[in-house]
Amino acid sequence: MTTCHVQTRQLTVGYRGIPVLRDVTVGISRGEIVALIGPNGAGKSTLLRGIAGQLKPLAGSVMLDQRELSTIGRGELARRMAVVFTDRIYAELMTCADVAAEGRYPYTGRFGLLSGEDRDILREAMEITHVLDIADQDFGRISDGQRQRVLLARALCQQPEIILLDEPVTYLDIRYKLEFMSALRRLAGERGMTVVMSLHELDLARHFADRVLCIRDGSIARYDTPQKVFESGCVRELFDVGAEDLAGTVWERLL
Amino acid sequence: MRAAAICVICTDWRIRGAARAGCESMDADRNLHNDKKSGAGGIGWRFGALAAILLVLTALNLAVGSVRVPLREVLAGVGIGGGTVTDTVHNILWQIRMPRALAALILGGALGLAGYLLQTFFHNPIAGPFVLGISSGAKLTVALLTVFFLGRGVRVGSWGMIGAAFAGAFAATGFVLLMSGKVDSMAMLIVAGVMIGYICSAITDLVVTFAQDADIVNLHNWSKGSFSGITWENVAVMASVVAVTAAAVMWLAKPIGAYRMGEVYAASVGVNVLRLRFLLVLLSSVLAACITAFAGPVSFVGIAVPHLVKRFFRTAKPLVMIPACFLGGAVFCLLCDLLARTLFAPTELSISTVTAVFGAPVVIAVMLGRRRERER
Repeated sequence: MTTCHVQTRQLTVGYRGIPVLRDVTVGISRGEIVALIGPNGAGKSTLLRGIAGQLKPLAGSVMLDQRELSTIGRGELARRMAVVFTDRIYAELMTCADVAAEGRYPYTGRFGLLSGEDRDILREAMEITHVLDIADQDFGRISDGQRQRVLLARALCQQPEIILLDEPVTYLDIRYKLEFMSALRRLAGERGMTVVMSLHELDLARHFADRVLCIRDGSIARYDTPQKVFESGCVRELFDVGAEDLAGTVWERLL
Repeated sequence: MRAAAICVICTDWRIRGAARAGCESMDADRNLHNDKKSGAGGIGWRFGALAAILLVLTALNLAVGSVRVPLREVLAGVGIGGGTVTDTVHNILWQIRMPRALAALILGGALGLAGYLLQTFFHNPIAGPFVLGISSGAKLTVALLTVFFLGRGVRVGSWGMIGAAFAGAFAATGFVLLMSGKVDSMAMLIVAGVMIGYICSAITDLVVTFAQDADIVNLHNWSKGSFSGITWENVAVMASVVAVTAAAVMWLAKPIGAYRMGEVYAASVGVNVLRLRFLLVLLSSVLAACITAFAGPVSFVGIAVPHLVKRFFRTAKPLVMIPACFLGGAVFCLLCDLLARTLFAPTELSISTVTAVFGAPVVIAVMLGRRRERER
């Protein structure tokens, strides 16, 4: 716990002064993939927004490399942390390359023109996420799954050390779900990128995450390796499903 | 034997498939790098075309009117080409038509820009200074100020007018913003804007009706919107205000580009969203105030121009859109003022009569286009 990359200390966050998530103390190491799981409305997105600094803490704090988040400037934060959230994105008359290139914002000059180096990084990011072939297509006319991958490319363009994702694979088919998760796995391994993501796909959480953070009713129910979390049977409790609900389904063995 | 042949075909296919995939990715690669170059060419000629239309319309605005001035004399009059012109022609050109054409150009550009900023701010395609009641708010304060000072025999200068208009515009925008915090629906926002516009117009009409000074006739014309009666002093003031504002908008092109994708994404790449929102409101209010102070409320230019420009340039990048909206607004207003003066000469139409005829269909087209987009 001494070398936490991202850490929350008694963090309480919410909307309009009303807490959704209370007293969360969690440490995440560099290069780790942490999956947030829990029922709808438990506070997964709220925690992500709190860590991203988009929701100010109502109490407690978020630390980045032992530095309090609020003391880090906008520009520096944007170079260190990127997000893929579920908010509606307006991209009128923008190609996929245009959308991804917006991720270079913290690095470009006064008028945001891309240098050769920016373009190289953009191409690399689009390669990793397999969207190079749709680079010139209108962002509004691609599928939800492609859109999600373009948004990941945009986040990678920021060259972040931390990436926060809110249900990033929901619209992806099984092949791209696996590819998306493998890409994150690779980035975490090769670049030491810390990944915090909310997931509804418990199988993926079990397979790809280093640690699983179970959130229920605005607090942490459990935070441990996937093996321990899934073997303890606490996931059933987390989602309020009994053995009889699971009988005969593919989740029977997982949970 | 046959199996071997099939095998050859198979590998052949695979190679071709791989080669094709390779080509495609190379194509995409090239596009990624060339898009700036080829895009710049397309954008270059479009700017050229717009500038040419602007020049032609300016010349026409100088030439056409109750006294027709031949093009040769227009050129001579403004000092291009040789020859001299009579004093009458010189006066018509320099005292009446030139300031008016320049006003249409500058204020038209300002309107296009104001519309672009408001549409960006609200992520709403039919936002504009007129629809959101900002023009009407400015109109009300200008009318109040004018009537108040005319009653005391004092003329209000250009700066006083702009100041009053800005106060009204900013107040109206503030009201719309308050409403936008309370209602999530964009339709409701527009309704709120239109309503505040009606209220302000009604009070203005009331003020104008019961003020009976001779100068009120001017006020009456002005409150309907017109580029007539513009002086060189007015032109100088509006040019400096609009130039500073437009430069400031250009300076904000990068954050505006990030903001148009949505607040959360803008914030995540390091945009100070609150400050940018404030600046957008401030700048669009200054522009709307400048227009209203000198030409009265001018409808539909602010809504229509950004859409026409976007379709024409096939991009929504702020670095292109900002100058293009200015040029587009200038062209739009020069054309409309030309028509307002000449269609039923010697009777002059109010500028909004003409702009509405051209602008309203654009709004309808935009809404139909969006519906189609959503149904896809």
